[in-house]
Amino acid sequence: MRKSNKSSANYPPCKYACPILTDVREYVQLIAERKFTDAFASIRRQNPLPRVCGRICTHPCETACKRGQVEEPIAIASLKRFAADGLWADQYKAALAIESTGHKVAIVGSGPAGLAVAHDLALLGHSVTIFEALPVAGGMLRVGVPEYRLPKDVVAAEIEAIVALGVEVKTGVKIGKDIKLSKLSEQGFQAVFLAIGAHKDRKLGIAGEDELEGVVSAVSFLRAVNLGESPQVGKQVAVVGGGNTAIDSARSLLRMGAKVVSVVYRRSKEEMPAAEEEIEEAIHEGVKMAYLTSPVKIFGEDGRVSALKCIKNELGKPDAGGRRRPEPVSGSEFSLDVDMVVCAVGQAPESSLFADELKLSETGERIYVEASGSLATSLPAIFAGGDAVTGPATAIEAIAAGKQAAVSIDLYLRSKELPSVEKDKREETQALPSTVIERTRSFSRPSKINLSVDDRLKGFDEVEACLSEDRATQEALRCLHCYLGAKVDEERCISCLTCVRACPLGVPTVSKMGEISIDSFACQACGICVLECPVQAIDIDLDSRAKIFKQMETAMAGVQGQRPLIVGFFDFHGNFGAGDIESLRRDYPNIVPVMVFGVRRIDTVDIFKAFALGADGVFIARCPSDNDPFLEITDRIDRRVSYAGRLLEACGKKKEQLDICNMPKEGLVEKEWVDALIGKIKGMS
Amino acid sequence: MITVEQKKIEEINTMTKDYSCLLVLGCEMCAAISFAGGKRQVAELAAAIRLSRKGSGEEGEVFEESVARQCEPEFIDLVKDKVADCDAVLSLACGAGVQLMAERFSDKVLLPGCNTTFLGVTEELGVWSERCVGCGSCVLDKTAGLCPIARCSKQLLNGPCGGSMKGKCEISKDVDCVWQLIIDRLSRVNQLDKLEEIFPVKDWTPAGHGGPRKLVREDLKS
Amino acid sequence: MKSGSNLERILESGQFAVTAEAGPPKGTSSKVVQRKGELLKFCCDALNVTDNQTAIVRMSSLSGCVLLKELGVEPILQMVVRDRNRLALQSDILGAAALGIGNMLCLSGDHQKFGNHPTAKGVYDIDSIQFIRMVKEMRDEHKFLNGEEISGDVPLFIGAAANPFADPFEFRVTRLAKKIRAGADFIQTQGIFDMSKFAEWMKGVRDRGLHKKTYILAGLIPIKSVGMARYMRNNVSGLDVPQDVVDRMANSKDPKAEGVKICLETIEQLKEIEGIQGIHIMAVAWEDIVPRLVAQAGLMPRPIV
Repeated sequence: MRKSNKSSANYPPCKYACPILTDVREYVQLIAERKFTDAFASIRRQNPLPRVCGRICTHPCETACKRGQVEEPIAIASLKRFAADGLWADQYKAALAIESTGHKVAIVGSGPAGLAVAHDLALLGHSVTIFEALPVAGGMLRVGVPEYRLPKDVVAAEIEAIVALGVEVKTGVKIGKDIKLSKLSEQGFQAVFLAIGAHKDRKLGIAGEDELEGVVSAVSFLRAVNLGESPQVGKQVAVVGGGNTAIDSARSLLRMGAKVVSVVYRRSKEEMPAAEEEIEEAIHEGVKMAYLTSPVKIFGEDGRVSALKCIKNELGKPDAGGRRRPEPVSGSEFSLDVDMVVCAVGQAPESSLFADELKLSETGERIYVEASGSLATSLPAIFAGGDAVTGPATAIEAIAAGKQAAVSIDLYLRSKELPSVEKDKREETQALPSTVIERTRSFSRPSKINLSVDDRLKGFDEVEACLSEDRATQEALRCLHCYLGAKVDEERCISCLTCVRACPLGVPTVSKMGEISIDSFACQACGICVLECPVQAIDIDLDSRAKIFKQMETAMAGVQGQRPLIVGFFDFHGNFGAGDIESLRRDYPNIVPVMVFGVRRIDTVDIFKAFALGADGVFIARCPSDNDPFLEITDRIDRRVSYAGRLLEACGKKKEQLDICNMPKEGLVEKEWVDALIGKIKGMS
Repeated sequence: MITVEQKKIEEINTMTKDYSCLLVLGCEMCAAISFAGGKRQVAELAAAIRLSRKGSGEEGEVFEESVARQCEPEFIDLVKDKVADCDAVLSLACGAGVQLMAERFSDKVLLPGCNTTFLGVTEELGVWSERCVGCGSCVLDKTAGLCPIARCSKQLLNGPCGGSMKGKCEISKDVDCVWQLIIDRLSRVNQLDKLEEIFPVKDWTPAGHGGPRKLVREDLKS
Repeated sequence: MKSGSNLERILESGQFAVTAEAGPPKGTSSKVVQRKGELLKFCCDALNVTDNQTAIVRMSSLSGCVLLKELGVEPILQMVVRDRNRLALQSDILGAAALGIGNMLCLSGDHQKFGNHPTAKGVYDIDSIQFIRMVKEMRDEHKFLNGEEISGDVPLFIGAAANPFADPFEFRVTRLAKKIRAGADFIQTQGIFDMSKFAEWMKGVRDRGLHKKTYILAGLIPIKSVGMARYMRNNVSGLDVPQDVVDRMANSKDPKAEGVKICLETIEQLKEIEGIQGIHIMAVAWEDIVPRLVAQAGLMPRPIV
């Protein structure tokens, strides 16, 4: 009996790591196949903000990625951005509910949580209105993240797509102040979702902070920048804090004209909560880092900031969170000459707005939600999520909260019930056996194509460029296809050990009594065991036999009548571009390309099938051997093709009718080679 | 295991050409392990026969089927309807399987798609070598676990002969002299004195030289 | 002429031939062979020297043939594939030709299991039909089995055995035809007791015209006692002794005379069957009776051709 692989344990790590369980593997594979429209659709079905996430997501998927155990993880976020930025993305049509439910839902806040819930509820047929306190929609995406990371028009386009679903956005309305929460039901809203974010900066709690001019909060500074208010910046600025907000502030300050920007952080670089790549880029742009440093006092002159007194720390015992606690080193005080101090030591929601109506968290900072995971607050029909509930977190977590809220609210509206959501226990990605790592070929992750520092500092132009089609395809081909590989049908298996012996990675194992196990995480879906298994007891999801047959059948059905009709099995791992396939089709209408992830998986039976379907010739176009994810594959292909050739000759075919094409360094095939093959087949007696 | 090798397609085509409706029947034990009689080989061979027939303009159908073991009546009875519907069965089993099929389906043409090679072991994927001839009276206790009947080209029981050179048999430098191996191994297990013994003449009756063999377990048979 | 042997010449001339068996001893005495030769010299056209008959080790057939030849008796070299592979068979044939032996009988041989070395390994490298063809090609084309050239002639008159009484009966004629096609110049049959079955077989032989393509010598086994009759009926494979023969022996006061009588009656009936060119007497351990049998059958003196 086939073992079920449906448990979440067999989710690929990238999907498992994603708060919204994005099917990363699927869209990465679609990109590898150059099916970009499908790739975008795959992303967009789950994520209403793909362009945003393609840029600023903290991509836990990459951290979990199996490839990361070999060299570096797949550049998943870059691939998402690639898929989302392309023109093909405009063809996406969301699957709207056919009928309106008549239910009205108010969403408070238009950040990622609010947008996500609005999107999902709209698709379910509910009528949604978003209330946004600020004059622009988008929340932190719009007023928190600087434009050089996330351009305004990108955010605007995402919101536009959601508005297009019928969602109304009312900006400049502060619920809790302009309209009391309780009044919303009077306006006909049957449910409310609070997603007000965490826009209130915490204080440093040191002398000089409140009275001196030039001490600003990071959130308000970034908001002002993003709203085009051109706030005044100092020449020499200290940014206190180690999160993304601190780095965003520091990098923005440089762009606003600050000469020297120092980030003052109490622990070392390793403990810094900001994304590592952000820290690197900040340093690259000239931000100075003062690690193991705590501010002690802000000095002023004439009411303005003049210096920041700091003390050096050393790391002591780990605290409750596991991070080593910074301990001041006595006598290590020093002063930074600054004329501005930006406080970026954490944010909190403005929950006080609802304090009289709603229960708050124990600390009084956040909005309380029930432990069931339904995101229900202490009041019926009122839900909350995102930073307002969790404190500052990531965009994807906010989106996840929004999507969860949509499920809860939908259920509540339909049946007045609340769901109980079991929280996934996130486990670390399983470790690959070292033998598998050793036998897996490494490929480099694409280096980012970024603006020069000079160009960056001229303004807020987006720093990172989108991947090109070819580079994206190449990157997607690095995917190791977790869980798409070999699955043994125990009823068919005769314990012949072929898979154990044939696996290039040494993945299958056998018990004393002959039970074969194939670790579906370690397996990289090369397809060799599937083909070699004498009793066809192994199936595979990536390029299954049935899929290859179907692809061939469909392709050949379209070109009957062309002579000589030649089927070419092409390896996706070749260095070809999209144009190459088009030009092959144009120049050689008689050649039927069948694209597969590795021609090593092409079996004698496939070749015979091509002839049975009317082919006059078949060739196996293998990628340059350095491109093959598996080592020592070339010989295997040679042996298989020559075996098939001998068999074909014995069946009355000519040896000219089967050939191996070595795909050139660039492109799909060399014309001379194809012409020669056609000539040979035509010239057969 | 019994190793089995598929016959050349030319021979199979000649053998099967008169039978318009052919059943290619796999055997999923030894023949499959030898890559000669599994479902995949059935598919491959059936495809090859179809292609050959198409080329020579012959009509007819080639069906594919497999059973767990053709050397067991219960298994082959499960395909009796398929057998009944064809003109001939091309069996991809060892000789034992083909014969049981022939016995079971007395009025059907039975054709062997394989050559039965030997009792052997897998050296590596795609490489097998002979270890046993089924002589019916094992002497491995006296020969350090290595069989001179199966592996000495002259089946010498008191070897090695004068043709043993540098550990290789005189018939080919690719063939190990099993007597050399026996001596090496006896030396390692400290039993070289066994070589002093003269092996008596062997009784070949249980090896089949007393006529076809039969094994009966009185306690099991009814 | 294939070999120009006496047997061939007699058969070729259309005369009724007589051959008999002279088994070599289980020892080294040449006298045993010589005595049998002297005894049968004038009543037979050639003598078969058996080759480890019934898988019992005896002096080699080739040596027996040489001993007979020295006496001026024409031998028929019997050779079985049980004990020799193709190399040994061919080398012994060359030796036989060199020693001037002109007849041979190509046989499978009784299985070693029946003999006095039942645990021996049987050779059976080639079978009797392949053997006949091999000898024919050695003689007619001067070729070894592998196609290589033989230097010198191999003049042999090739014989084969036929058992009309074995099963499946319908196939027996076919097998004879195959042996003839393979190159059998003459046939010596199994001992005949069931005349009607033999006649039926011969009819089948004639229907296919096989009697015109080879010389058929009918086999005879004189029975000495009822015990021997019973033994042959029950224990000798391929031999068909009808119950009435056993009964005749049992009811006779003089079994030896009865045995001779049965034999003579058989010879008379055989003479009447179209396609029988002679008889072959296998008087195992009763060679002394042969001259009397031949004489009483009216087959004496033996012709000189």
